[in-house]
Amino acid sequence: MNPGSEAVAGLRTRDDGHAVLSGPLLAASRRVDGLFAKWSARWNAEEWRFPAVLPASQLDRLDYFRSFPHLVTFPVVLDDAPENLARLVSGPALGDDGAVRLPATAPVRDVLTPAACYHFYVELAGARLDQARHLTTVASCFRREKFYRPLFRQWNFTMREVVCIGTLEEVASFLSSFRELLTGYFTAAELPVAWQEAADPFFGGAANPKFIAQMVDPVKTEMVFSSELAIGSINSHRSFFGETFGITRGDSPAFSGCVAFGLERWLYALLARFGPDPERWPAALWEAA
Amino acid sequence: MKSEPEVRTHLARWVAERSRSVQAEEISGNTPILERRLITSVQVMDLILEIEQLSGRSIDVSRLKPGVFKDIDTIYRNFFGGPSS
Repeated sequence: MNPGSEAVAGLRTRDDGHAVLSGPLLAASRRVDGLFAKWSARWNAEEWRFPAVLPASQLDRLDYFRSFPHLVTFPVVLDDAPENLARLVSGPALGDDGAVRLPATAPVRDVLTPAACYHFYVELAGARLDQARHLTTVASCFRREKFYRPLFRQWNFTMREVVCIGTLEEVASFLSSFRELLTGYFTAAELPVAWQEAADPFFGGAANPKFIAQMVDPVKTEMVFSSELAIGSINSHRSFFGETFGITRGDSPAFSGCVAFGLERWLYALLARFGPDPERWPAALWEAA
Repeated sequence: MKSEPEVRTHLARWVAERSRSVQAEEISGNTPILERRLITSVQVMDLILEIEQLSGRSIDVSRLKPGVFKDIDTIYRNFFGGPSS
């Protein structure tokens, strides 16, 4: 699909690389998320909803700022001293370059959610699980990128995740069963998606020990549409989150894994595959689930 | 250079020292080292250095393939030139 070359019913695009959805495409996005929810129901995944912000102190426990400083987005508010606020009020709000002329800011203590599932481990810190837990959430996520393109690569995008926290075997079984389910779906829906091992985009690339570790021990497998775009991924976290947040399964640190879907990217793939009018997409797309 | 049993014992001890969950005797040739997170991702670089010292050969990190540090059998086969047991 080449956005702009063909009118898409219910899609507007912004110069900053974001998509605005309405009408048929918004309805389609709800149906697509409905697919994810339907799949998550096979594991009776409990749905949670989180705020858009995560405490920076929690992300720091994951070494996030050293691993992904290039992706992070901070919510910033102003120092609320009246004289400081008056500085913004008294002059032009924007400079010649279009950037806001910020006066003093308050200390930044939060991060805009970079990945939906992080919230679960924060909330379940210290939990002792006597059986595997399956959870799901959909979140508005933020990742700074080198370029943006509506639906394809957005700063602010929607991520649905289905998470399993349990023993190594429970998580491995969840991930392989989910992969099998999706493989069947892609075939039945005639979506050209291939599984491809990948690594997270660690800062420093090949010079980062964590990147090298993922290279020799792949923990991420992406669903790549048409050899072009990852529309989701299956991730094994080993016991990283269990150890970091003190979550145990039995007497040992819990293992975890997740299946993540990028909602806008799914829309991109469906538009590219089935055309610009979501109301004319094949029924098999919904029925195959 | 150490014999095969010595290399295997050395690697099992090295992994066990970094793991808080297993003893060296519990680590067999096919115990999954990374999958069970007996060592962390950051410690993979230390493992590479340890293997280099043990084998006397340098490792080209850019040419490492997925799975080469899966377990001690695989490490021995890939970096010490011996048959896996």
